[in-house]
Amino acid sequence: MANLKEVRNRIVSVSSTQQITKAMKMVSAAKLRRAQDAVTQMRPYATKLKEILENVSSTLESSEGGNFSAVREVKNVLIVAITSNRGLCGAFNANVVKRATYLAKTEYKNCKVSVLSIGKKADDAFKKTDYGIMGSDMPKKLNELFDQLTFNNVAPVAEKVMEAFAKGQFDKVVLVYNQFKNAAVQILSTEQMLPVQKPAASNSGKKLSIDYIFEPSKEFIVKDLIPKSLKIQLYKALLDSHAAEHGARMTAMHKATDNAGALIKDLKLSYNKARQAAITNEILEIVGGAEALNG
Amino acid sequence: MYLEIISPDKKLYSGEVKSVSLPGSEGSLGILNNHAPLISSLKNGVIKVIDNQQASHTFTIKGGVAEVLKNKIIILAE
Repeated sequence: MANLKEVRNRIVSVSSTQQITKAMKMVSAAKLRRAQDAVTQMRPYATKLKEILENVSSTLESSEGGNFSAVREVKNVLIVAITSNRGLCGAFNANVVKRATYLAKTEYKNCKVSVLSIGKKADDAFKKTDYGIMGSDMPKKLNELFDQLTFNNVAPVAEKVMEAFAKGQFDKVVLVYNQFKNAAVQILSTEQMLPVQKPAASNSGKKLSIDYIFEPSKEFIVKDLIPKSLKIQLYKALLDSHAAEHGARMTAMHKATDNAGALIKDLKLSYNKARQAAITNEILEIVGGAEALNG
Repeated sequence: MYLEIISPDKKLYSGEVKSVSLPGSEGSLGILNNHAPLISSLKNGVIKVIDNQQASHTFTIKGGVAEVLKNKIIILAE
């Protein structure tokens, strides 16, 4: 039979762990709300930008996008892996690292793969591998991006990546990140950032009938807009990943709290059993003692 | 006419306005009611808005793009 004191100590430690996980869940829920708000705030901008870009480029046949849509033979690939800075959020980070490694080993087996890791967890994972690491020349430390996730902080990172692509340092840039679907579900997604894919020429038929004046010219506007949309793409990926992180942590912590509850229930049962056994024993001893005196 | 100024982080302005002046990349643009459809890129500068109460608002931007369509102006600012 388990020792009474031991069981009591375990109950205390498990319930304090439960308190911590419960608090973490609550914190994540609050942060999730804020992260979700940021995603919603950004959406109208992204939608409108895409609309205008589609509008303008659908009337242009020639090679728009300049440096950023150049399709070259893929020799050098940059994988941008977006994870979180902290753990305790289930398989969130492991999934990204796994997918990035998988991509490097299969699809880009014959290329030189470099990794730009955003988030401490990806950093730690890729530091040990022999893929080239990009990011030492970033204006701001990448892991601090999540402390202040604003467009102005993210834009320089996208600019650096675009610059490297334009210089021919990389022939392809892909993003690997967790897309936010809802608090419980994250979709691991891989997205091509560079070269720019031509926007699908859908539903542009009726828009074309509007005779816009373009200032100063269509070509100029497209060239101006493509870098913007790239920055938005990275920003969106970061925001999504940020929201997904808190969603994942919330779920993980919820499960942990539930598990602790179940554990406490079991422990309480065995504690009470042990206590009852001890009492029964004591009564037996007393009765036995009294019996001996009487006899 | 209706004006919306949107930045990636938040909506900066939305409402009915009388006139808007924009820092177009080829020189300043003034937009009044019933302007023809227009898409213009913007350089860094100041957007000046005069609303229906004659009050003026200014926004400093680093660049962006503006779309004018059927008395609705949407400015994507950075």
